[in-house]
Amino acid sequence: MSGVRRFVARRLLLGAAQTVAVVLLIFALTEALPGDAAVALAGDQPDPARIEAIRAALRLDRPAHERFADWALGLLHGDLGTSLTSGRPVARYLADGFGPTLVPAALTVALLVPAGFGLGILAARHEGRTADRLISSVTLAVYAVPEFALGVLLVTVLALRLGWLPPTAVGHGTDLLADPSVLVLPVLVLLSRPVCSLARLVRAGMIDALASPYVAQARRYGLSGARVRYAHALPAALAPAAQQLARTVDWLLSGVIVVEALFVIPGLGTVLLDAVAERDVPVVQGLAVVFGVLTVVLNLGADLVAHRLAPRAGVAA
Amino acid sequence: MRGRRGRFALGAALVAVPLALALLGPLLAGEPGPRSPSFTVGGGHPLGSDFVGRDVVRQVLLGGRPVVLTALAATALAYLVALPVGLAAALTHRRGLEELLMRPLDVLLAVPSLLLILLVATVFSPGAVGLAALVALVNVPDAARLVRAAGAEAAARPAVEALRMQGESWARIAFGYVGRSALRTLVADAGTRLTGVLYLVATAAFLGVGVAPDAADWAVMVDRNRTGLFVQPWAVVVPAVLIVALTTGTNLLFDAALDSGGARDRDRPGPRRRRLRRTGPPGGRTARKRATAGRETPA
Repeated sequence: MSGVRRFVARRLLLGAAQTVAVVLLIFALTEALPGDAAVALAGDQPDPARIEAIRAALRLDRPAHERFADWALGLLHGDLGTSLTSGRPVARYLADGFGPTLVPAALTVALLVPAGFGLGILAARHEGRTADRLISSVTLAVYAVPEFALGVLLVTVLALRLGWLPPTAVGHGTDLLADPSVLVLPVLVLLSRPVCSLARLVRAGMIDALASPYVAQARRYGLSGARVRYAHALPAALAPAAQQLARTVDWLLSGVIVVEALFVIPGLGTVLLDAVAERDVPVVQGLAVVFGVLTVVLNLGADLVAHRLAPRAGVAA
Repeated sequence: MRGRRGRFALGAALVAVPLALALLGPLLAGEPGPRSPSFTVGGGHPLGSDFVGRDVVRQVLLGGRPVVLTALAATALAYLVALPVGLAAALTHRRGLEELLMRPLDVLLAVPSLLLILLVATVFSPGAVGLAALVALVNVPDAARLVRAAGAEAAARPAVEALRMQGESWARIAFGYVGRSALRTLVADAGTRLTGVLYLVATAAFLGVGVAPDAADWAVMVDRNRTGLFVQPWAVVVPAVLIVALTTGTNLLFDAALDSGGARDRDRPGPRRRRLRRTGPPGGRTARKRATAGRETPA
């Protein structure tokens, strides 16, 4: 029991350290500009008024550690700062982009679990046969494909050639649920990579478990095939899958950014890309903190769940 | 068996076209012709013209090299950093040094890779070299962890202790013995890592990081020519298909190659076990005798 408690404590400590480090890293990366930061950030529009405004907004006349302390204190109070270009609070950007991002992302996660497990179990049941070979090859192939290439090809075929689906979400504003056909292609593209990796992991876990002595023992007791598969073999494949699900957040994030650019969805990914293009440092920082902390928390949760499911595996920390 | 060979052939066939285009394309591209209007079909251009009226065929011939070279450079660079760090962590006896080397990487591992790249792109405008360095940086934590894990087993062998006592240099022990023992694992990892790096390099270029807005780069072509998808799909479809073929092919090829490598590995214990059986028993017996003797003395 103390072993479990120690693992949890260590993992929580690592999570806390990661959160602090992510916040520090984000600040260091975005504010560690060589030379005059205000001039560099003004970029294409180097007029003195704008440079002066940036200098005032970022309080560049003060030393970096004071600025970091202010910014970090603000974060603790939920104050993410204000945009350099529009003067609107960063929290508003987040609130506006949240809905259009959440809908496809939540749909993806909701479909990911049944699709990934279904394909993985199907392949494991038919190990070495045509169904398995087909699923294994396709998941292996699609797994490596960047979302934008797959997405643009799907748009060309399904939307432009066949005319089955709308090519982009233009004209639907932030209410994507009003016309679900808009969501089909984005969700399909978002699903492509995570489903493949999850299916491969579940397949490998199931095959290992089905070949293990305890499953053989369960069979000797005369348990039905389905009961052996789902009550005894499947749980063993769950631990790596839970961790992979958390890793998927990383992918889902890059997928969301690409898919929103591809299908013109006004979500957080678009906000981030626009802010990067305009060098709107506070907005980029705010979004990065939200994404970074979310990733840390989800990975933490997954490691704890995985440890609960397979305490012997000694995962992470 | 048949499946693996099939996958190998399929992967090789898929990779061949984009790889040949990337390596030889720039030699065949020739001088830029006169510009046509944007997004025309035909008119001396077999695949039409792109968003600024350049010949798509020529852009396709030129556009593979940056993708492939940046990905290869990033993978190599990631190992250049990860190998010494991982091996040092595996070989050191000081727990503090190991923690110092590996813990900061755990933290870096927590930041989503594309987010890190976009963060840096906000303040700097990285070129192709910068993009390669960034993608390498993103890959270092995971690679270093793998090197450490693969090296730790070899570093604990008596041979390493013997080499140390012989006064061999650290570099010789690390790269000459431990690194070589871990080579199989590292090659397997390099394959999957290259696939991941190709994905990141192409995606970053698609999002406009590390490339000029009118660069001859397959990912940039997909992005910039999207506006003309209705009138001139070739300028998008051809580079997109090439990227799909390159990434898919690389993954299939490495998976099949490593699969066969694994099979060879599985074959290997046979002869070794036979050899062990021949030479094993005497050694084993003396060892056992020594162990029992040791246990008997204090009793």
